[in-house]
Amino acid sequence: MFSLISFRQGVSHAFGVPALGLGSSMFAFGAYLKSSGFDLFQSFASSFFTFALPGQFVMAETMLAGGTFLNIFLAVLLTNARLFPMTVNLIPIIRHSSHSKWKYYFLAHFIAVTSWFNMFAVHKQLQQQNKFDYFLGLGGFLWFNAVICTMLGFSISHLVSHEFLIGLVFINPIYFLIMTVSNLNEKKLTTSVILGAVFSFILYQYTPEWSVLIAGIASGTLSFFIFKKENNDS
Amino acid sequence: MTANTIYTAIFLATCATYLCRAMGVFSAKNINTNSPVFNWIKCVSIGIISAVISKIILFPAGILSETESESRIVATIVTLLAYFLFKKNVIFGIFAGVTTFLLMNFYF
Repeated sequence: MFSLISFRQGVSHAFGVPALGLGSSMFAFGAYLKSSGFDLFQSFASSFFTFALPGQFVMAETMLAGGTFLNIFLAVLLTNARLFPMTVNLIPIIRHSSHSKWKYYFLAHFIAVTSWFNMFAVHKQLQQQNKFDYFLGLGGFLWFNAVICTMLGFSISHLVSHEFLIGLVFINPIYFLIMTVSNLNEKKLTTSVILGAVFSFILYQYTPEWSVLIAGIASGTLSFFIFKKENNDS
Repeated sequence: MTANTIYTAIFLATCATYLCRAMGVFSAKNINTNSPVFNWIKCVSIGIISAVISKIILFPAGILSETESESRIVATIVTLLAYFLFKKNVIFGIFAGVTTFLLMNFYF
């Protein structure tokens, strides 16, 4: 049964810093789409249906660079492939027997880095049967906020200076960084983060397109095996 | 660039993105939170996110690429320092980081 209280708590969690962290970059993305020849409805559609900023950006960049539709599909698939392990990780946390399977396919649309981190930060304090509705509020509000901010960026970005716009874009990676650091409560996760950053830097020199994915899989797998005993003990 | 081209690109980006999420839901059905697979995927997920952050800060695309890499690196360090110095206050961390970043790029 739907819990309005949990849903509201999720919305309330998203309102504030999480919404600002994501919304600032979406605002700048809206401005970028305008300068790239998109119209307002197309900007709206991009955030409404995709809701994964790096992939949205790659879509626009690949298209502007004259890439084929196959290029666009593969580039976005590669860029947003992180959503696969993130979803595999989040669904068992949220799962409850009172929800039918199809609902998780709907809920998955709201899984993005910001909602994922924020859900992980609080899920142990929530009752299992309330987690679905809580995440619906949290992720749903962030998605709604992303769509609105994209449209605002498209419509009013000419009112802000270029420097301010660049500052807004920078909020997103440092917000992700803070969320990452705040979730490091196990040695294996800390090791994954450090190795992921180092591997990404090294691999970018050789294979820029695959660097993130390979770095993430390699760092995560290595950390998992280094701390295998800790995993067995926990 | 015609409107149809843009809509097709958005449609393909949506399909590619949702495919990752849907495959994730499908693959998660037999995984429980105490299993080794779950722990391994958690390590991989956070490793990928770390790699994404590293790429955005060190090798950005879009308007961030107009800025100095030193400013992004220093601002990142300042963000972390401020976050820990101010009792893990996210707002202070972000404010200190963005302020440093803007000052280094546009005023020094």
